[in-house]
Amino acid sequence: MEFFVISALNGVVHGLLLFMVSAGLTLIFGMMGVLNFAHAWFYMIGAYIGFTCTRTIGFWPGLIAAPIIVGACGVLIERFMLRRVHRFGHAHELLLTFGLAFIIEEVIKLFYGDFPVNYAMPEYMKFAAFTLYEIDYPFYRLFMGGVAIVIFAVLYLLLTRTRVGLIVRAATHRPSMVEALGHNLPVVFMGVFAVGAGLAGLAGAVAGAFFPTGPNMGVDFGTLVFVVVVVGGLGSLEGALLASLLIGLFMSFSVGFNKSLADLLGLVGLGDWAHEVGGLLTLELSTIAASTPFLLMLLVLLFRPAGLLGDRQ
Amino acid sequence: MTIVRALTARQLFLIVLGLAVLSALPLVLSPSLVNAAIKMLIAALFALAFSLAMGQAGMLSFGHSAYYGIGAFAALHLMKAVEGHVLAWPTPLVPLVGATAGLLAGIVFGWFATRRTGVYFAMVTLALAELLFTLAPSWNSVFGGESGISTMRMPSWAFSFGDDTHVYYLTLAWVALSAWCLWAFRGTPMGRLAVAMRENEHRVRFLGFNTHLARTLVFAISAMFTGVAGALLAIANEASNYTIFSTQASANVVLQTFIGGAGTFLGPALGAAVMTFFARVTSDLTRSWLLYQGLIFVLVMLFVPDGFGGLISMHVRRLHGAAIKHLVLPYLLCVAVGLLIIAGVVFMIESAYVLLSDAYVAQRRGAGGAVVPYHLLGWKFDPLSPLTWSLSAVPLFIGGALLPFTKRQTELAWSRALDESEQ
Amino acid sequence: MRKLLSVLALASAGSLLAGEATAEPVKLAIIESLSGGQAPVGKMFLSAVNYGLIKLNDEKAWPDGFRLLEYDNQGGASEASDKVKAAINDGANIIIQGASSAIGGQITGDVLKHNMRNPGKEVIYLNVGAEAMEFTGPKCHFYHFRWNGNAEIRLRAMLVAMKDANVLGKRVYVIGQNYSWGRDVQRLVHEYTSFGGYTVVGDTIHDVNKIQDFAPYVAKIKEAAPDTVITGNWSSDLLLLMKAAGDAGLKVRFASYWLDQPGNIANAGATALGHYNVSSFNAEANGEATAAFAEDFKAKTGQYPVFVQGHTVHGIWGLGEALMMLKPGPDGRLSVKQLAFAMEKVRFDTSMGEIAMRPEDHQALLPLAVSVVSKDAKYKVDGTDMGFKPVRLIPGREAAGPVQPSCNMERPPAS
Repeated sequence: MEFFVISALNGVVHGLLLFMVSAGLTLIFGMMGVLNFAHAWFYMIGAYIGFTCTRTIGFWPGLIAAPIIVGACGVLIERFMLRRVHRFGHAHELLLTFGLAFIIEEVIKLFYGDFPVNYAMPEYMKFAAFTLYEIDYPFYRLFMGGVAIVIFAVLYLLLTRTRVGLIVRAATHRPSMVEALGHNLPVVFMGVFAVGAGLAGLAGAVAGAFFPTGPNMGVDFGTLVFVVVVVGGLGSLEGALLASLLIGLFMSFSVGFNKSLADLLGLVGLGDWAHEVGGLLTLELSTIAASTPFLLMLLVLLFRPAGLLGDRQ
Repeated sequence: MTIVRALTARQLFLIVLGLAVLSALPLVLSPSLVNAAIKMLIAALFALAFSLAMGQAGMLSFGHSAYYGIGAFAALHLMKAVEGHVLAWPTPLVPLVGATAGLLAGIVFGWFATRRTGVYFAMVTLALAELLFTLAPSWNSVFGGESGISTMRMPSWAFSFGDDTHVYYLTLAWVALSAWCLWAFRGTPMGRLAVAMRENEHRVRFLGFNTHLARTLVFAISAMFTGVAGALLAIANEASNYTIFSTQASANVVLQTFIGGAGTFLGPALGAAVMTFFARVTSDLTRSWLLYQGLIFVLVMLFVPDGFGGLISMHVRRLHGAAIKHLVLPYLLCVAVGLLIIAGVVFMIESAYVLLSDAYVAQRRGAGGAVVPYHLLGWKFDPLSPLTWSLSAVPLFIGGALLPFTKRQTELAWSRALDESEQ
Repeated sequence: MRKLLSVLALASAGSLLAGEATAEPVKLAIIESLSGGQAPVGKMFLSAVNYGLIKLNDEKAWPDGFRLLEYDNQGGASEASDKVKAAINDGANIIIQGASSAIGGQITGDVLKHNMRNPGKEVIYLNVGAEAMEFTGPKCHFYHFRWNGNAEIRLRAMLVAMKDANVLGKRVYVIGQNYSWGRDVQRLVHEYTSFGGYTVVGDTIHDVNKIQDFAPYVAKIKEAAPDTVITGNWSSDLLLLMKAAGDAGLKVRFASYWLDQPGNIANAGATALGHYNVSSFNAEANGEATAAFAEDFKAKTGQYPVFVQGHTVHGIWGLGEALMMLKPGPDGRLSVKQLAFAMEKVRFDTSMGEIAMRPEDHQALLPLAVSVVSKDAKYKVDGTDMGFKPVRLIPGREAAGPVQPSCNMERPPAS
């Protein structure tokens, strides 16, 4: 029971963190079809901005500065780079953002060094929110989860209840029609990209205070955000939330699972044979916990390519 | 994509000349450069095989390193069996097992992947490669765990294969053979079908073809030659480990293909060879080489979208006779401006690297916080003196100022050259 | 950039001097991860090697001096193999490498094969960082020398010190990374139960550098209620594990091998207090002697020796000791075969104690310092108010484990 509750709690919060980072990408990917490989690196920039602000003007100004600065970077990148490359196809966009990821990582290493930096939340936030089965639950995890939920709520309301959101959603499905109706489509795209990037920056500023902030942040999250977006469905905000929670819970629970395929086969009496064969069959789920998102992505892509809640093919 | 014509006499001559030059290389290059050449040839084959799926059939595979690695490990297992005298198999024919493994993997993975198109296809291939990457370190019997599998080349056919020169000729033979196969494939009905599917898959399906099967086969053939490249790498390095499956390796081949030009046949090979050499050389010259590589990626994607191969192909196709003489001067100007800008940027980045490094901070601390001169390229520079920054600013300024003029001159020269070509 | 100029200068000088049989400096090649993810660690090895060479130059361990060639293996085994060939081509016959056991495995294999194929032109591999057991086990060979510890030596030192200080307890949990090093640590912890007087109450293996959230693993640890958690984790895996444990309020002692990697203490903060670490150098461990070494290192490189730098310097000094026993041959060059024979017999004193090379498996018997993170430490790290206070200094022979039976070293004839 204890294991279940703790794992569920951890899984949910981890999932919410994933959502925070991927929310922007699902909008960008879904609406513009841009495979922004550098999205996890926007997250990294946000964390480093948070770090710099904490050392100079304070933690909370950092949470405001990060999304603004990263959003501004997003605007510049979209306006001067992605727009040029868009007509050459998906591959060019992907490769451009791949190159950008390199540049961002190297420039950050130039200014901040190769080692992780000590970006920490203010002292008054470092306490345990509650104690469960003798394990303290840090308040900051709840804070992160809370920020993620607020982001979801704001985005959802924005997309469904405002005029701007209506235009954005229309542009996802019928961009040329929206343009024909007189809306400035390039500005809409630029706005979406900026908001998406800004969100990643905010996620970085918030999460970077909890997790180690270092030059490997981009690489660590890089492919996982793609998994979330694909599994959830391109362009679907609710799908991204669902997928993040699913992945977070899955990774959290599988850690405690010291069972392998061989043990499963043991239920039907083939256990000994499977153990003898070895190799993949004796791999315990807990050992490969971090690879399960990719398996999930594969299954979704093969059986339901639109994603869990997506509605585009 | 041009329709495949029979080779002209001039093209045939160039091919023979190219092969002759490549064959003569080990006689003039140092052993370390011969090794570099081997790696460049392998990278070129990988890119050519990838380009079959990408450039010809329009399938952006983002996990091609899976077949590269499978080919490499298949070859390593065979070589180990030969080394342990369990099996007798001539070393020069080892890439055959890489081809077989790549083909089988390509059929299996490809059948799943090609059920989707476009971005989804790319994601499936990425997921397959990532799965392999994460599972391989745990599957010790096949992939040798974290340190991988290590073996030794065995002598065959009067060659000892202890010398890199032998490995070079083996690699060259296989790469040339594979390249010829890939070229010939373009002229086959299957190859033309691949191009058709890239242009309009619906129509092909309406013509009665089973496009899923066709795309699987094309993908499998691409994977087969990728497996050959992997096997050649295993022969050259005599070892491999699971990192060959990384996303980095998959992304590298995509980048090399596009920098070289996905629309031409030899473009990807050129891109792969150049970028491999670039990485090797600059990684020892400067610690910021990844930054330069990223800049190259971004600039090429922005300004040379057809890649360098596409650029060369454009010249060959559209300029006839002596029209090229119009372009000589403007191109020299372009090169000069480019060098100026590169010099300015490189100086700035390298200086920034030194000034922001721990060693320099320690120096400053030792001098009581004063701003001390820094060392670069064996010379001393004063960070605060305007002379130092002019070394970066002046070339950049001149280069930048001349850029519009250069662009205009190049355009004018091109229109003159095109006019002359039309006559 | 400097290398390019030095190569050019060398080439032009060489062309001028062609034909003269001049004396030859010994060329060492360091093939390290100088870019990419492992770059910070690689650069630490580089700076330690440079510092070590200062003493060799001062004492003229080789009459014509030394030249260190730097190669970046870009963090990959295939690229490392390329650079080995480039280094040999550039005339280097001593290859040094440390970051990553996977790359070390590639290099040791390449060196073995090169030596088999080119008798008379052998090269030697000084391993200053790869700690997996296999290097002095099934992969051992005559031209490989390991100057750092290994999983067994470090564990023994840790167990001796912690048992002595009565902080080990009876219940031990081991958590590690899923690769050769992590599995070695796990296996050894199970093997040493009677030596340490404990029982293993749980063990876990996890993916390397992929887990962001260690909270589930901390929950598992808490369930097993151990006294001490032994982990071979490094870099973000160690940091995240400790932070998760601290956040959950888990009152358990960590015994780790790589806690002193720069950045760890700064990031972990007060959570790190009370955890144990075993390392090859501690500035406070041996009073005046170690303090003097630390100060001199700082004077010449700008920072105190940390992490892997202690044993790397000692390894270079070990090379110097071996070279002192030799003279240049008639062509002025160093005979690597003689160097290897000499290196097997090396035994010298350092500030930490005596270091000796064991000829059976070419594993250095080095002294290790077990320390605890505390505010009482004399030398603070990472700009915090905490440091590593030594608990016990274990001499080399006490820490050393037995020679592995899987090491069958073929020796060349001693001519």
